[in-house]
Amino acid sequence: MPTLDELFLSVQKPSRYTGGELNSVMKDKAAVDVRFAFCFPDLYEVGMSHLGMKILYGLFNEQPDIWCERVFAPDTDMEALMREHDIPLWALESRDPLTAFDFVGFTLQYEMSFTAILNMLDLAHIPVRSADRDERYPLVVAGGPCACNPEPIADFVDIFFLGEGEEVDLEVVRLYQQMKKDGSYSKAAFLHAAAQIEGVYVPALYEVSYNEDGTVAAVTPQEGVPATVKKRIIRDLDSCYYPKSFVVPFTDIVFDRAQSEIFRGCIRGCRFCQAGFIYRPVREKLPEVIDRQSHDLCRSTGYEEFSLSSLSTSDYTKLEELLPMLLEWSEREHTNISLPSLRVDGFSEELAQKLNVLRRAGLTFAPEAGTQRLRDAINKNVTEEEIFRTVTKAFNAGWSAVKLYFMMGLPTETFEDVAGIAELGQKLVNLFYQNPNRPKGKGVTISISCACFVPKPFTPFQWEPQDTAEQLAQKQEHLRQSVTTKKISLSMHDNTTSYLEAVLARGDRRLCAAIEEVWRRGSKLDAWSEHFDYDRWMGVFADLGIDPAFYANRRRSYDEVLPWDHLDYGVTKEFLIRESKKAHEALTTPHCRQQCQACGAACWKEGVCVEHR
Amino acid sequence: MSIVNGFYTVRLVFSKTGRARYISHLDLNRTMARVLRRAGIPLWYTEGFNKHPYITFAAPLSLGCESLCERMDFRLTDETLSMDEIVARVNKAMPEGLQAISAAEAVRKMSAVGFAKYRLQLSCDRGIVGAFLEQPSIEVEKKTKKKGGVLTVDIKPHLQIEEIKGETATELTAILPCSNETTVNPTLLLTARSAFAGREIKASSLRLELYDIDGEIFA
Repeated sequence: MPTLDELFLSVQKPSRYTGGELNSVMKDKAAVDVRFAFCFPDLYEVGMSHLGMKILYGLFNEQPDIWCERVFAPDTDMEALMREHDIPLWALESRDPLTAFDFVGFTLQYEMSFTAILNMLDLAHIPVRSADRDERYPLVVAGGPCACNPEPIADFVDIFFLGEGEEVDLEVVRLYQQMKKDGSYSKAAFLHAAAQIEGVYVPALYEVSYNEDGTVAAVTPQEGVPATVKKRIIRDLDSCYYPKSFVVPFTDIVFDRAQSEIFRGCIRGCRFCQAGFIYRPVREKLPEVIDRQSHDLCRSTGYEEFSLSSLSTSDYTKLEELLPMLLEWSEREHTNISLPSLRVDGFSEELAQKLNVLRRAGLTFAPEAGTQRLRDAINKNVTEEEIFRTVTKAFNAGWSAVKLYFMMGLPTETFEDVAGIAELGQKLVNLFYQNPNRPKGKGVTISISCACFVPKPFTPFQWEPQDTAEQLAQKQEHLRQSVTTKKISLSMHDNTTSYLEAVLARGDRRLCAAIEEVWRRGSKLDAWSEHFDYDRWMGVFADLGIDPAFYANRRRSYDEVLPWDHLDYGVTKEFLIRESKKAHEALTTPHCRQQCQACGAACWKEGVCVEHR
Repeated sequence: MSIVNGFYTVRLVFSKTGRARYISHLDLNRTMARVLRRAGIPLWYTEGFNKHPYITFAAPLSLGCESLCERMDFRLTDETLSMDEIVARVNKAMPEGLQAISAAEAVRKMSAVGFAKYRLQLSCDRGIVGAFLEQPSIEVEKKTKKKGGVLTVDIKPHLQIEEIKGETATELTAILPCSNETTVNPTLLLTARSAFAGREIKASSLRLELYDIDGEIFA
């Protein structure tokens, strides 16, 4: 059998597999109690960009008796060598196989990574089904946004963590340690005890029954297990753990910079956006805390750039206070501040110039929909006037390219709304040529990128059907014909991936068999278009007698039991129904700071819910 | 030492061994920029639209090869740091496998490098190595800058074998050209030898020293 070192020289970008990056944590495995393998079910470049992993990696490793290591999906060239030579998947730090760990934890960032989870378990020689794993195997746990409907992977995972992990993850590890110590540990006893902890969902302890029409009849907990599981939140972000250092990769990754989280949640309530609902309530960090954490990170990593991370950075209430604090040291130390998703027109000229706002952010807008009516229906409170104002500023400053993001297939969307996308692009073209200060000798380019809408759980659109492939194809054609100028470049996403996402996002446990089967037939890195095989998925659905349209294209009634109804994310079903009805009347809802909508998140009595207004 | 045009240039000698041998040349550039920033070295930044620290390397090392003699230049804005202090600070900031050995003001241009000495450990016996080296010519395929282009070169005239040790696992010390005009990568030699032996020969390579075109140690 070749050594790992011999494999490294035969694959692309070997530093993805070697470990040894700066700030990676090495411990003596004999001196720790619990070993936790934090797995990101995608390639290193993607996984290493993820903030949640950095937080939990640091948090676990701060505990002297826990050693947390990193694991990523190998690329196809490495996987082929591993399978050829029967080398099990290893963790980067110790290079030990995953079977040497107590916990194998996955983060669930997107549905298309589900097959990668099975593939990683299999590469580690761990049975993929929870029921096939006894005490000899590590416990398989998972958290992240897709844990809000974990049913399609319920058969594979022992424990799901709902909500924010900083506290609950440690509580579960401590329970495990204690039961190991006092001799009461068995997998069954442990899972039963863990299910009592708030935020812990053990799917094996819940029985799902179905109606004749295929909908869920009931989800019944075993005796002594809570009927609903409530997500966890961190009450005070200022005192919550935040890493002082990040592992600094050698190879280029997707987001190769330090990241400072400035708040969690979002006040906006865009009706298509799952993150806008499942991370409620909005909780901000103090500027001095952000300033200190950003500076610590830059010093310990040597990163030449850091970003302020949140769902909507311009909604941070103390931005005008924070930015000068950051600039005070970042300019001196040649460190760039990156501000994603920012409203450019909110800045003074001086600050905008210092931050190089236009250059950094590029000129990108996400109106999401082409007409004001549809933007109102999805509660995306961006007006054409706002876009025109900012774009004019940019044209004055010498810019000649603008990028616009839209979604197609939004609930209530008509052909008129689709044509509106092209019309908005045309208005920007006209704006350019009407501007006497426009850059001379240059043409304008408006890039329009159009994704397909995927209805998600815990949003007001969770009951909506996704447009069928035929409907989407017609709308795409209509948009293509509505664009009459070469100044507009149009890129439209392939709708097959969105279709699969729609099936998996609102799926139930009967999809576990399909996910396992499609993985056995060869699917593993579905998030990559070059690996995604739509026909293979459809073949498996047909062979197993599963109708994907039942999950993707069916309108649910408000009184249907949804597969995730036993999970509680704070926002109530009553609120989501109110929002759903308003969407169909194209009525907007004020954001959290304008007027509380009694969404349910106030149950925690934190953040924006208790702010003075 | 003197500051001209706002900076002076330091040449750092460092080793690249163990896990660090998998850091590609491109990645090393980025890694070192961050090491220097972390070390709190007062770096000089280029002017212009995309300001960045000035860092340059002598004779890029191929991926997988270890080295005891890498050289990197960077520019400082002030001369208050002693060379010993620079080495100490850099070493505190280095990841596993990278280690600073010494620092001095850079005098000669990096392009003055002409040759490099390597020690190669081979998983084959001495007889095969001997026979391989005695061939009238040793042809290797080199990728050219043109996409997909391959050039066949005879590296025999460029080979200077210093020492052959060991019987079953052979250790070979060789000096190979390493200049802007001609470079023979030690992996080319290994590939040719595997082809000669008709099987894959496992090998590890370590760069020991850099020389100028006159054969003097490059400083």
